[in-house]
Amino acid sequence: MQPDAPRTFAPAPRVSVARRSATLSTQTLVLALVVLLIVLNGLPFVWGVLTSMKSEQDLFRFPPAFFDFEPTLDNYRRVAATGFLGNMLTSFAYCIVAVFFVLAIGLPAAYAFDRYQFPLRQPLFLLIVASIPLSIGAAALLIPTYIYFARLGLTNTFFVLPMIYAAHQLPMTIWILKGAIESIPRELDEAAIVDGVSRLGVLRHVVLPLSRPALAAASILAFVGSWNEFVAGSVMVDSPGLKPIQPLVYSFIGFFGREWGPLTASATLAMLPILLIFILFGRQFVAGLTKGAVKG
Amino acid sequence: MKSNTAAFASVAPAFAVTGFVLFSPVVYALWFSLHEIRYGSVGAFDGGANFLRLLQDYTLPGTLLRTVIHTGLSVLITVAIALAISVGIDRMKPRAALVAKMVVILPWITSAVVATLLFRWVFINDIGVASYAVSSLVGAEFQPMTNSTGAMTLLIFVSVWKRLGYAVIVLLAGLKSIPSECVEAAQVDGATPWQVFRLITLPLLKTPMLLVVVVLTLANINTVETPLVLTGGGPNDATRILALDVYERAFAIFDLGSATALALVMFAANIVMVLAYVRLTGWRV
Repeated sequence: MQPDAPRTFAPAPRVSVARRSATLSTQTLVLALVVLLIVLNGLPFVWGVLTSMKSEQDLFRFPPAFFDFEPTLDNYRRVAATGFLGNMLTSFAYCIVAVFFVLAIGLPAAYAFDRYQFPLRQPLFLLIVASIPLSIGAAALLIPTYIYFARLGLTNTFFVLPMIYAAHQLPMTIWILKGAIESIPRELDEAAIVDGVSRLGVLRHVVLPLSRPALAAASILAFVGSWNEFVAGSVMVDSPGLKPIQPLVYSFIGFFGREWGPLTASATLAMLPILLIFILFGRQFVAGLTKGAVKG
Repeated sequence: MKSNTAAFASVAPAFAVTGFVLFSPVVYALWFSLHEIRYGSVGAFDGGANFLRLLQDYTLPGTLLRTVIHTGLSVLITVAIALAISVGIDRMKPRAALVAKMVVILPWITSAVVATLLFRWVFINDIGVASYAVSSLVGAEFQPMTNSTGAMTLLIFVSVWKRLGYAVIVLLAGLKSIPSECVEAAQVDGATPWQVFRLITLPLLKTPMLLVVVVLTLANINTVETPLVLTGGGPNDATRILALDVYERAFAIFDLGSATALALVMFAANIVMVLAYVRLTGWRV
């Protein structure tokens, strides 16, 4: 007799049939949700890029054309004529500078919080943790910051935005890097110190190479956060040359009005670096978000 | 002692930057809000006049109510959907799960301006694909932006769509940390999948779920871009939420006095969330 034969007569199978149909229906539900999500999340991006390559006539065609149209770069030319590409470079420079400072300041701080014992260590770290949500809610601080910085003569300078971006991204970076340094065995530091390496040398030759994945994740997060920032960028600088990309895309809504060709072209350009990072480093991207997300 | 100096030297730059950009403006604003303010210059001390003016502002109760509705519903719906999606992704094979995660976080990693702009173009514009699809399927015109309920519904929809990815990533990490023995033990005892979810998974997900609620509440209260790009606050202030109100008071009608006072009210709400966040992270050094 087969070992599982008796169970056919027990009420158990009915439960398992019910269970199977339950999981089947949940599976269908989950599948439907995933398909819906792919449409909702993918369509705006695909359709946006397609629209950006359409001529005026193709844009207003009814029913809308998906792929049977003559692609044109006219919309991109019109966006480029406003100096948009220069502002992309400006934005890029802001973000690179912000990321550089975030890492340069964040790594020693994270190391000190994990490896040194010093007075006020706990309250100071508490302040860092509290700064993570504080920078999410930075919009509330915008006006005080603006008036304060205007008084100090910092508005409309080339360094005000990288400084703000660095401050916004720093707490999260310290948190991620501290997590990474925690997992590096202290014996490694101690062995190096016994060998006569300075603390700075330990940071450079032991901690830096071993926390590379966390550094990559933190840089990606800091870059994306800075690139996508809107409110500070829209009020802290005035000169056309200093404007970052997000407020420019917003101002195009007024400038191009209902001309969705140039509008979607500017939107496509504005998300290009992020999409590139996303496609090239998808796995690290998700890993970084997970590292940062659980904790903030 | 030498190591103390080194430690302070290591953390000092971090506090110099965050202190200057994140903390000192708050102190300045507290002082500033108690003065008369004209065109960005600080006038005479006038006590709580800015706050008093705010209390008499007849538009404020409506704005606060809309903020509560927008944030409350957005957070609730985001968490509910994220829960279903993360449980689904958790069961996938690693490669499929990565692809699913990438799809889910796409709107989240895009800037709010661009994401909202594209969403508006595809789903609500009268010459967009969605209105074409709806009008050819249902035969009726699809114009949600012309009435206030429709506009608020869309604002909530976009807010959920934009931040769903964050919630999914956090909940997925939470699901991963649930020991499989707990689930297996319950299954051996004959628990149905629903019972496992309700009695094992959900209680063990409490902390990440609360964290998601706190961060999403913060993000939704402080969002300027989404209503600004989606509706501009209209029709007839139907989607004017607190953050947009503060932003426009300051930079569209240049009433910096009431804007600062209102920003401090908003900041107080943020502080409550910050405290909750600090508790939930279980930070330690």
